[in-house]
Amino acid sequence: MERKLDQTQALIEAERCLYCYDAPCEKACPAHVPVPEFIQSIRSGNLKGARELISLANPSIEVCGEVCPEEQFCQSVCTRTKIDTPIKIRELHKFVTDNVKLKDLELDLPPLNGRKVAIIGGGPAGLACARELRRFGVKSVIFEKKELGGIPVQEISKERLSDEISRSEAKQILELFNAEVRDKKITSINELHGEFDAVFISTGLTEELELDVKGVNLQNVYTARKLLKTIKSGMKTGLGKRVGVIGGGNVAVEVAAALKREDPSRDVEVVYRRGLKELRAFRDEIEEALELGVAFQFLAIPLEIKGTEKVEGLLCRRARLGETDSSGRRTFEEVPNSDFFIPFDTIVIAIGQKPSDIFSELEKTNNGLIKTNEDLETSMKGVFAGGDIVRGASTIVESVADGKKAAQSILKYLEGGKNV
Amino acid sequence: MFKKVDISIDFLGIHLDSPFILSAAPPTDELEMAERGLEEGWAGVILKTTSVEGNPVDLKNPMMSSFGPMSRKVVGLGNIDLISHHHIDVVEERVKYLKKKFPNKMIAASIMGASKEDWQTLVWRLKKAQVDLIECSFSCPQGSMGEEPGKMLAQSIEATEKVTRWVKEAADTTPVLIKITPQVTDIVEVAKAVKRGGADGITASNTIPSLTGVDIYTFEPYPTLFGEGAYSGLSGPAIKPITLRTIAEIARNVDIVISGNGGAFNWRDAVEFMAVGASNVQFCTLPMHYGFRTIRDLRSGLEHYLKEMGFASPMEIIGRALKNIKNQEDLVKPETRSEINYDKCIGCGLCYAACNDGGHMAISWDSELRKPTVNEDKCTGCAMCMQVCPVDAIRMKEKLDSKVHYFAERR
Repeated sequence: MERKLDQTQALIEAERCLYCYDAPCEKACPAHVPVPEFIQSIRSGNLKGARELISLANPSIEVCGEVCPEEQFCQSVCTRTKIDTPIKIRELHKFVTDNVKLKDLELDLPPLNGRKVAIIGGGPAGLACARELRRFGVKSVIFEKKELGGIPVQEISKERLSDEISRSEAKQILELFNAEVRDKKITSINELHGEFDAVFISTGLTEELELDVKGVNLQNVYTARKLLKTIKSGMKTGLGKRVGVIGGGNVAVEVAAALKREDPSRDVEVVYRRGLKELRAFRDEIEEALELGVAFQFLAIPLEIKGTEKVEGLLCRRARLGETDSSGRRTFEEVPNSDFFIPFDTIVIAIGQKPSDIFSELEKTNNGLIKTNEDLETSMKGVFAGGDIVRGASTIVESVADGKKAAQSILKYLEGGKNV
Repeated sequence: MFKKVDISIDFLGIHLDSPFILSAAPPTDELEMAERGLEEGWAGVILKTTSVEGNPVDLKNPMMSSFGPMSRKVVGLGNIDLISHHHIDVVEERVKYLKKKFPNKMIAASIMGASKEDWQTLVWRLKKAQVDLIECSFSCPQGSMGEEPGKMLAQSIEATEKVTRWVKEAADTTPVLIKITPQVTDIVEVAKAVKRGGADGITASNTIPSLTGVDIYTFEPYPTLFGEGAYSGLSGPAIKPITLRTIAEIARNVDIVISGNGGAFNWRDAVEFMAVGASNVQFCTLPMHYGFRTIRDLRSGLEHYLKEMGFASPMEIIGRALKNIKNQEDLVKPETRSEINYDKCIGCGLCYAACNDGGHMAISWDSELRKPTVNEDKCTGCAMCMQVCPVDAIRMKEKLDSKVHYFAERR
């Protein structure tokens, strides 16, 4: 999907911005990017100034310029909507990042102050935290067993986010903000041997939720994120010609689109218990999947994966929408005597992720997520956590915001409660 | 299919089928263009300013430069154009041709001379060609045909009166308009000089000497000719407020017919020009930007306006706003307060920002509700909040002797 604005388009779009006071878009952005300010800088032709503003607020601006769900955040509350259509904020953001790179700006960082923080997990939250800490003279050591960059680097398809952008952003944070990376898996705070002044845990959700139906152990049943990693690595999945993807979130839609893209002659169908409105994927991605030819089977509850050794199909029961639940979505209920069978040769389960069972010394929620207070501090003093391991599945920009917030809390902690 | 309204007027004894004419400028510099303009429906043309054959006209290109926000580039148009490179011999023939082809349109010509002989020769030759009207450019910002180098003719009261007299002597019964510049200390004195000189009317006014821009990376002025530039004559919407004041000031002080020129970009602007005293309105930048087809909306907009206002003729508009223009010290002093229409308010907070940092800190802001509230005790009614509201949700409530008036600018 082409989203690139040229200079004329960007200037015309920037002209439309009302430059609201106390702007709702800025408040709605988890990273609090000063939207009217950076748009004003585009308007005046001060693209470097615009880049500085966005970069200060959001350490992951290249990635967010590509994949941030603006319809969920900034654009959803744009005042301009009350007159006509919202400002294309992400496109303007991308216009800035396309035209000014971080290396075009001169950094002015304070000398390191001798403090050292361990960051466990080198995804968007961890990188954001490392960058923010360095801005205040604190060195970070990132523990990352896989490739630095997290989900944007490892799972988001190349069509939505190029390797160049996701990898270079992670690399830049390392190089320009002097973070050190150690290729080591940490599962307990004790492993850090008192080397650090504070700890930030941002491991994300590493395990996939399992579908509790008969037949999940058959051949040709896969989990979504493993497939996304395979596709991202450039390898062929070798999956069959009729693939059912069970789930209703971004990962389900993303894997369905990726499989269709890999082999356009393959039938890919997303099977979801609720309706289109309840689908928890970003609008852009749903549209893109539809354009690619992904089919959607709504109001279908998977009952059993059928087959002897290999998958032969999925037995479902028809659902209908019920009352609205606490999440604002309508619930579903089964329709009696409505079972139906969809022939598939492959099933992909994409019903969500859960945390792995590590850091047992920390207090957890019922879902296994790490509990924190408002400052993102865990039950252990000096140990902070953020991103998906605290929130559950969330967006990149929310993880980035957590990384920034945790860094501020860590700095406060290191200063002995003094606000930095 | 729809009932038409008569928007014709009489102007110095010439019948115009609308008050809208093409000014002496690039759109009338070629015969074919003048013809097309008239065919499209313009009421008349003033052919681009011409001179005697011996007068060299050294045009330099590129000659145009504009400024404005990106979404609308031409708010102001600057040009370093001069008069036409077609001399009087060509223009004479064009006048004869156009007069024959368009007997019901006004065919006028504009002239500029350097000596009494030039001025009177030009007038005499145009008269022989049966021109309807002669306009004299005393104000081309690029040329220096005045008494002193770099000075426009109309910047000298004495020269204005003297040259006007020469022209009128030769023109006799042919109507003469003197086109002046707003770039003077006292426009009224200039207009009085024109009247004393015997002209039939005054064209108020011309482009305004300007510098449209400078490239901040190369420091080349715009328009740039190999890195160098000159001051240009500014036209377009940017100068409309200046022209309006110029027309009004002449109309309030001198009994002379005025042809409005400079910055009108639509029929509403034209109505404003007429309301402050212009008898007709000349257009240049509008057709240069969007073409001659713009006459269609000019005519239709004026027709519907006349119907709505119950006016029988555009002539009823002329000078209607003049009685309301006063000196600041003569204005009444109402008690004024800002009033917000919350049904229209979109909660952008611009009124708050403007009042807080540029007004009297009389508007408070509820961040949760995104709602501005006017503190009547602090509000002085300066109307700055009204100017920045993007949806016209603010008007000023004025009270005087228990009478209430609302100031709201209609767009």
